[in-house]
Amino acid sequence: MNFIESIKIALKALWINKMRSILTMLGIIIGISSVITVVALGNGMKGAVNSEFDNYGASSIYIFNSFSEELYNEDLVTLDDYDELGRVFEKYINAKSVMINYSGTTYKIEDVKESVKLDVQGVSEEYNEIMNFTLVKGRFLTEQDINSRKNVAVIDKKLALEQFGKEDVLGEKLNISRNNGSDTFIIVGLFEPAKSLLPTMGEETQIVYIPMTTAARLLDLSNQIYYMNFTLSNDVDANEIIEQMISVLERRHKNVGQEKFAGQSAEGQLEIVNGIVKIVTSVVGAIAAISLFVGGIGIMNIMLVSVTERTREIGIRKAIGATRKDILVQFLIEAIVISGIGGIIGTVLGIMLSKIVSHFMKIPATTGILIIIIATLFSTIVGIIAGLYPANKAAKLDPIDALRYE
Amino acid sequence: MIKLEKIWKIYDTGEVKVEALQGIDLEINKGEFISIIGASGSGKSTMMNILGCLDKPTKGTYKLSDNYIENLDEDELAKMRSENIGFVFQTFNLVPRVTAFHNVELPLIYSRVKLSERKKRVIESLERVGLDDRMHHKPNQLSGGQKQRVAIARALINSPSILLADEPTGNLDSETTVEIMKIFKKLNDEGVTVIIVTHELDIAAMTNRQITFRDGKIIKDEVIKF
Repeated sequence: MNFIESIKIALKALWINKMRSILTMLGIIIGISSVITVVALGNGMKGAVNSEFDNYGASSIYIFNSFSEELYNEDLVTLDDYDELGRVFEKYINAKSVMINYSGTTYKIEDVKESVKLDVQGVSEEYNEIMNFTLVKGRFLTEQDINSRKNVAVIDKKLALEQFGKEDVLGEKLNISRNNGSDTFIIVGLFEPAKSLLPTMGEETQIVYIPMTTAARLLDLSNQIYYMNFTLSNDVDANEIIEQMISVLERRHKNVGQEKFAGQSAEGQLEIVNGIVKIVTSVVGAIAAISLFVGGIGIMNIMLVSVTERTREIGIRKAIGATRKDILVQFLIEAIVISGIGGIIGTVLGIMLSKIVSHFMKIPATTGILIIIIATLFSTIVGIIAGLYPANKAAKLDPIDALRYE
Repeated sequence: MIKLEKIWKIYDTGEVKVEALQGIDLEINKGEFISIIGASGSGKSTMMNILGCLDKPTKGTYKLSDNYIENLDEDELAKMRSENIGFVFQTFNLVPRVTAFHNVELPLIYSRVKLSERKKRVIESLERVGLDDRMHHKPNQLSGGQKQRVAIARALINSPSILLADEPTGNLDSETTVEIMKIFKKLNDEGVTVIIVTHELDIAAMTNRQITFRDGKIIKDEVIKF
């Protein structure tokens, strides 16, 4: 009996028990579609994270005070440290900046329609190179702004449109209030952040960049800064530079070996985030795989029922010349057809589901041809494994006994 | 064409040993019309299973179309059945829920006949039993006589050496019985070897040779007419 003939017979047999076939398929459909959804979302997340880091440049590093240690005033990173590191490591550094971002201070724009929560960051004139954003209008901060601690600001284009209703806001005054006072800045530039594929967590804040020296002066931080950010030339080992920078800082602060400073390369962060995504994908994927396994058991169960029900039919087929292989193939193909069709429906459903989840949760989903091939292959394998035992049982039936079966 | 020598079939269940056939010697020639008669437990069903290559003898030799059946394995037996034996059962044994056409087609599928040729042969075979107008009916849409005719068409499809019928009229009324027996007679006239296993003497009377079984032995083997 040839293959196509077998498939036809299998389809016929499944068609006769439509409801039962569909219910049996359901296990595989749920299994495959959930596996596809999870993998698609996992891959999408991974892709988004990677491209996110591409924006920042994988060669950027951060140096900051270690949060896990008890910090005293003399341990805090200062602008002097920043200058010193910039000088010592000059030949490895492409761009450098600090980020002064005093958390807990709420900034508000005055004299506008409504107050907004702002994220005001004091940075260097090279920060735009590190962050890879596009300047839409005007200019970014200059060395002169930094040196003379000017009250100038570069703001997000969205903020300009929301608060001033126009893009042409250069020279306009921006009044920002904080806990203990308020300051006025002249807007000198408009930027557009690099597009992020990642979902924004929590409340969306608008970013305003001001010179780091100005921020330190206004906040009266006595030089203390949040963290330092460097982009390195491509040919240097980021982890090596981090280690050396930390040892320079430790010598300056006379706290060698106390681990008051820490560093992080973007590459390292990427690995951490990818690691988390991978773990989550694996765990959820494993749960989905279990449902596939249960689906396989469902197929085996129904195939056993089918073999028992059709014992007499098997006897007839054997009497008129079916070999053991013919019977084995017939039942095996029936199992594979159930799981295969279930797999195809599951794949389509999974792709749709991942698109829907992706749309509502703003998480990217990536479905490739590879996923589809693997899913179909996997469901077929489930069918073979689930069908083998019942099919073998059918094939081994003695024709005389089978014909006598009531 | 068929030669059985000292055929024994012994069922050993551990506690009891049943000698269903006890040294049967039998020769059947091509074109014969035979009935095997006997009460239940006489060994006639066992005889039919062995003749039909559904079972192998415990001892003895069974030669069918130059093959020694006792030497064949299960798949070779299946091939023998497919090429040499046509079965007709008391309970018709059609595959339910598929059409008469497909039922008749099945043996051809198992003997790997091409699709184009299958259709032609199925129709021919159904014509031989006068049922070509019912080929797309399913078994539950057919009467007992029609079902049995489908079964005969199926048994004939591979031009077997023997047509083996086990109580073929047991589930039919007397009118249909005559109808089915007429078909067997007609097929025999066309050269098909027909063996009918039955316990009804009036059925046996319609055949040309009666072989009577009792307690696993042939007690009578008489040729009635030529």
